[in-house]
Amino acid sequence: MLLSAEKISKAFGGFLAVRGADLAVDEGEIIGLIGPNGAGKSTFFNCLAGDMTPSTGRVLLDGTDVTRASAEAHAQAGVGRTFQVPITFEDMTILENVMVGAFLRHHHRRDAREHALHIIELTGLTTQASQRARSLGTPGRKRLEIARVLATGPRLMLLDEALAGLTPAELQEAIALVRRIHELGVTLVIVEHIMEVILTLAQRVLVFNQGHVIAHGKPDEIVRNEVVIEAYLGRGHRRRRAAP
Amino acid sequence: MKWGLLALASALLIYPFILTGPFYWDVGVTFLLAAISASAWNIVGGYAGQVSVGHSMFFGIGAYVPLLFYQLWGWPPVAGVPAGIVVSLLLAVAIGLPTFRLQGHYFSMATIAIAELIRIFVGTWDLVGAAIGLQGPAVGRAWWDLTFRSELPYYYIFLAVLGVVLYTTYELARSRFGYYLRAIKAGERAARSLGVPVRQTKLKALMLSATFTSVAGSLYAIKTGFIDPESGFGILVSVQMVIIAALGGAGTLLGPLVGALILVPLQTATNTFFGGGGSGLTYILYGGMIVLLARFEPGGMHELWDRIAPRLPRRSHAA
Amino acid sequence: MLLLQVIVGGLLLGAIYALFSSGLTLIWGMMNVINFAHGEFVMLGMYVALLVVVWIGGGPETFGFAAAFALFALGVCVYLSLIRHVMRGPMLAQILSTFGLALLLRYTAFWIFSANFVSLPQTSFSGTLNVAGILLPVPQLVAGVVAAALTIALHLLLTRTTLGSQLLAVAEDRSASMLMGIRPDRMQAIAWGLAGASAGIAGALMAMSYPWSPSVGETFGLTAFVVVTLGGFGSVPGAMYAGLIIGLVQALSAYWLGPIYKDIIVYALFAALLWLRPQGLMGKA
Repeated sequence: MLLSAEKISKAFGGFLAVRGADLAVDEGEIIGLIGPNGAGKSTFFNCLAGDMTPSTGRVLLDGTDVTRASAEAHAQAGVGRTFQVPITFEDMTILENVMVGAFLRHHHRRDAREHALHIIELTGLTTQASQRARSLGTPGRKRLEIARVLATGPRLMLLDEALAGLTPAELQEAIALVRRIHELGVTLVIVEHIMEVILTLAQRVLVFNQGHVIAHGKPDEIVRNEVVIEAYLGRGHRRRRAAP
Repeated sequence: MKWGLLALASALLIYPFILTGPFYWDVGVTFLLAAISASAWNIVGGYAGQVSVGHSMFFGIGAYVPLLFYQLWGWPPVAGVPAGIVVSLLLAVAIGLPTFRLQGHYFSMATIAIAELIRIFVGTWDLVGAAIGLQGPAVGRAWWDLTFRSELPYYYIFLAVLGVVLYTTYELARSRFGYYLRAIKAGERAARSLGVPVRQTKLKALMLSATFTSVAGSLYAIKTGFIDPESGFGILVSVQMVIIAALGGAGTLLGPLVGALILVPLQTATNTFFGGGGSGLTYILYGGMIVLLARFEPGGMHELWDRIAPRLPRRSHAA
Repeated sequence: MLLLQVIVGGLLLGAIYALFSSGLTLIWGMMNVINFAHGEFVMLGMYVALLVVVWIGGGPETFGFAAAFALFALGVCVYLSLIRHVMRGPMLAQILSTFGLALLLRYTAFWIFSANFVSLPQTSFSGTLNVAGILLPVPQLVAGVVAAALTIALHLLLTRTTLGSQLLAVAEDRSASMLMGIRPDRMQAIAWGLAGASAGIAGALMAMSYPWSPSVGETFGLTAFVVVTLGGFGSVPGAMYAGLIIGLVQALSAYWLGPIYKDIIVYALFAALLWLRPQGLMGKA
């Protein structure tokens, strides 16, 4: 068991964004996390990545309790994540952005640079390497974030809607990239809205609604699951379907 | 770029022989001191983006400790420089450690409050001369008292120190530490997620900045042979560091130098024209400049140049 | 009895601190901007009071309103011309903008009014009450009570009125409030106006009892920082309690250690707060 989250809750003032969510990830898996907007997926991610401390519950990495560990410590332990809205280092070049990630495990500039260039090639950003990050559009930024995190040499990557807003061609490219990353041995947990991504990539799917997991299973089971459909489309859907 | 740097370095080296005489040499020394202080501030304020508006506290400590060593034990002020650095470092840790785990405003507020606290306190403490301050050796007993009649030796000592500060900043910016600093400034949350030890990095930046600022203060005290609460810990000392760095371009290597190049002659000119009464006007000007900079060009001259340069007519290369 | 008098005096001044600090914390909580020129707003309120008395010969009500009005306007202007633009930018620009403004206001005041200390000629509130052996100068008593009332009024405005809920909505979630038809820009401008007004009135109230010069702005600004930190990020009730506490601490420090120490102790308290409890009284850990 690489990562396990037990009964995670997170409250903001009176509002419970996540309540009693569980997750178990084995090494080498690709897990999909789906659910309507506002279901608490990003907050859950933040708790897994150490960006926020859960109000209750535990997060275990390789059996070690990392619930209260900082985001930095998580990264050092091999947990990487991207952000729903990319936070790129605008005035730094793409190469420099990725180097920041590379410096985690490569302390010398030359090594970090070499590793960064290698990652840039892997993620298809070579032609833009010396451009400022601010010159990129959203798809480019998302890809940069992926490259940057990949450069830290993570064992587990949490991708938060990293494939959103892409054209069909770009989407195929991105799916291929995620596959390549997986082949490198990285375990993945992916939040996505795009069903194609989930169906193609995920081996297991968890469905979030209102702060906790309402269903989990194989992708093709999930899309047919009544509870899940209701979560996305609302109660009225079932009535409409039942009516002659 | 390299040629430009070489030209700049040469110009600085031969300046005293081009514009000779005590007046121009004094301007040169003032310029160098301003550049050193601003470059020191730049490390934590420009590169790391942690805005200190009370940096005079390190300057003042660096100025007071050497003169105190002279006053108490008759030591040459230069001997007190390392001690000044140590005290500044302790202060840096005392301020940085609690505030760097909080949002940025706390650090800025703390710097201004602590600088004021020290200024008031020193003004009441008889050991360090209270409101009157401290003096250095009026006449040098030996060469190590560094009391030169002419400005020239000071000019070259200060120039050497500036060289060290700039070189250190340059190397740092290219290193892992430098990248981490810039990442923190550009996106702290993202930096954290990449394993950047934010709090420690900020603290190290502050400590390095405090060290150089302390040295600047020591240089000032050794040269003028005098320090008091206002000239050491006053808010205007802090303001000057900030505006010079910001004007030239905070977070760039040569920004503080450019800022000093613009402001020191300007200040000398207004002082000459308006005399002592002009100082009130100078600070109105400073305030206005800072507001305009913040509003329209926070990146200073450096960013302005970056925006304008591409539009300038270029010599076309032969096909 | 002297001790009791010192305590009461400290609390009365503390109420004024609470008033202008609540304006500062409102802005901070709403848009994460610290106004480094807030002390100067208070200082300007004092001068407005002086000008009203000297030019028009008005009484406390007149110069109180004038100060509130003038600084409300200044607050809104500063927001529209400056803050609005730097808010979205780098931290350096944000901090430098109000810091530079503080310098601009302070040294312009020095230039116009000179560095001499001035005070208001006697107003209709004069004399001293003797309550059970405690001597209470009427101006200070009135100032303290009015300040406390206004601070509570501000708190009620924020929590009980529509305007208040709109302001808080913008503070809570800017985009969501836009969806509800609230205009964040307008709300933030109003917040700055309120903050200015709170500073202005506080200044006018203090002008009734204490002499001042342009230099007082720096001290008031720092005092406000300590109060809002002690009170907790964005909390007006917190600022109320904290203001009283700081006023008390200051008065007792001056009494026991000497007048020079009144500011030193407050700044030292600030440092201690940062180490031990930066979230203050009302903030979350």
